[in-house]
Amino acid sequence: MLLEPGDIPDAAQHTARFDSVGVKLPERRLTTDALMGSTRHHTSIDLEHLTGIRERRVCSEGEDSYTLAVGAARDCLARSRHARSDLEMVVCASITRYTGGLSYRFEPPLSLSIKEAIGAPGAINLDISNACAGMLTGVFLLNHFVRHGVIRCGMVVSGEYISGLGTNAAHDIHGLYSRQLASLTLGDAGAAVIVERAADGKPGISLAGFTTLCEHSRLCLGLPAPHSPGARMFTKARTIHKVAIQDTPPLLGAVLGRAGLHLSDIDWLIPHQTSARAIKAGARELAERFGEGPKRVVMNVEEYGNTASTTHFVALHRYLTEGRFQRGDRIALLALASGLEVGVVLLVMDDLVESHGRTH
Amino acid sequence: MGARIESVATSRSHGGPLARGALHLSDVAARKCLDRGGRRASDIDLLVNAGLYKDRNMAEPALASIIQEDIGANPGHPPRIDRHGTFSFDVINGGCGVLSAAHLVDAFVGTGAAHLGLIVAGDADPSPSTSRGFAFPPVGGAILLGNPDPDEGFARFAFRTFPQHADLFEVRLHWEARSRRNVLEVREHADFAKRCVECATEATIGFLGPIGLRIGEIDLVIASQYPPAFSADLARALGISPDRAPEARPELGCAHTAGPIAALESAIVSDRFARARNVLFVTVGAGVTTAIALYRGVPETGGVPR
Repeated sequence: MLLEPGDIPDAAQHTARFDSVGVKLPERRLTTDALMGSTRHHTSIDLEHLTGIRERRVCSEGEDSYTLAVGAARDCLARSRHARSDLEMVVCASITRYTGGLSYRFEPPLSLSIKEAIGAPGAINLDISNACAGMLTGVFLLNHFVRHGVIRCGMVVSGEYISGLGTNAAHDIHGLYSRQLASLTLGDAGAAVIVERAADGKPGISLAGFTTLCEHSRLCLGLPAPHSPGARMFTKARTIHKVAIQDTPPLLGAVLGRAGLHLSDIDWLIPHQTSARAIKAGARELAERFGEGPKRVVMNVEEYGNTASTTHFVALHRYLTEGRFQRGDRIALLALASGLEVGVVLLVMDDLVESHGRTH
Repeated sequence: MGARIESVATSRSHGGPLARGALHLSDVAARKCLDRGGRRASDIDLLVNAGLYKDRNMAEPALASIIQEDIGANPGHPPRIDRHGTFSFDVINGGCGVLSAAHLVDAFVGTGAAHLGLIVAGDADPSPSTSRGFAFPPVGGAILLGNPDPDEGFARFAFRTFPQHADLFEVRLHWEARSRRNVLEVREHADFAKRCVECATEATIGFLGPIGLRIGEIDLVIASQYPPAFSADLARALGISPDRAPEARPELGCAHTAGPIAALESAIVSDRFARARNVLFVTVGAGVTTAIALYRGVPETGGVPR
């Protein structure tokens, strides 16, 4: 696992922290009942019971990956003590790159348009793609740049207009064993986080690590739809679930061990938000393997579904807004994504609990 | 000094509907690069794919993870923290993608957080029957970046964007009602190539000034191979001899994301790279985006295997 800090003492001078988290959610809601009522074939699938997802937000006319990303970036800046000109890097981590409706943009990069829209033209911009681990991959990269003094402040942003996969799946799906079943869980959202240098001696991101278990790289594939707008996603969901249950605990345990922590020291585990059933099964497995689980496991799928690369930050934003975190809480963000990507970001909750509610 | 270039490789396919795809080109270049560098796939800590036009326009997962599996870089079972693993993901920055990836890999390798990084870039027409204006040849490339050397390695990176020219080059995949297909469409304005040279020239001058280097002190310019003739036009604009800005082998000409790798391979084969002290990478892409990196070499040692 690529870890920071690793086992060799490094020359990092600083600690990185989350300065602010922003979100942009479409207003329009699509209930699971309505989505399943739109399937072309009779499926007998009780998706809400299966996933715990009651509804998800979906884009309306004029909304897309770009508008959601820009909206989230603006929300993030409004909650930040930083001016937009302070941003030295802008990393866009969306899987979907739709602008102007379902027009998927390859070039120029989306991050260029985002930084121009938010007024940070001097920032280095780049897009990354790492499936649902995209935003945490961006955090992993910015954490490194901040720790080593290359930059003081940067933003990771994503806009996921991904509900069209559900629309296409509803057209194709026949039953529970369809490889497009997971597409029905998807919802749209934009999210952004500013990663900055923490004041000397202050807490922040204590450890970040990622690895790719690539022998499972072909378990989930997203491709343009052959005969309809947008894309389709084919997932071997049961195999992914089995691999996740099997391989995540030892990796998480090892990361916690490096940090001198036990899973029970974690106040909030925020896993990738796929379905309530998968999250609960994962939590049970962790508790069994470790003897004791984290104090709380964040579940945020009921109203939003799986919002792809943005799920951790949509959940973080909601829990910050609802005042659920306490200063000093230990948070573990756990990425699990196609690839198969496994990532962990450990941080200590700090001033963010107070600053989140303030706008500048 | 930052990360050191350990080896470089390219791959190619003939064009047309039966051309090999981007994944195959990337896999071949990656394997060849590892072979030339005398490294095993399992040595790789970080694998970054900067290729953009993938087989069937796949959006998920990152192509890097599939390349990682194909070349056998720590497929990873059972995973343990004390076992060597590989982390892979994609960078998307068009013609500047390889330098964006190098910037990231250099940051990790240069600080010791990683020891070996592999950058891969390959493009091929994802679907010739439903693409419009796709002019990039099927070419793959790979660069292996290893532990820093006190005398040799990347020294500085700079990125600039010129958004006033953002609409001069656009590539989109969109639904075409007439054919009832998702169509990949490349739109290039007639001024794109000219503006690329202007922006790259301005960025190069802006890069060299603050670090006290004159263009005459640059031994070698490794440039993008798209737009066509960019290397030669840039050399002319900078007032340097065209032989200091080598072009890729003709069969790799106009390569997109792998273009700078193909030019670097030419410079290595001709021994120019081994003789150079100051190597300047100058890449351009849609945006207009420019990426520039200074690489300090050790003349005459010829450290990069062919």
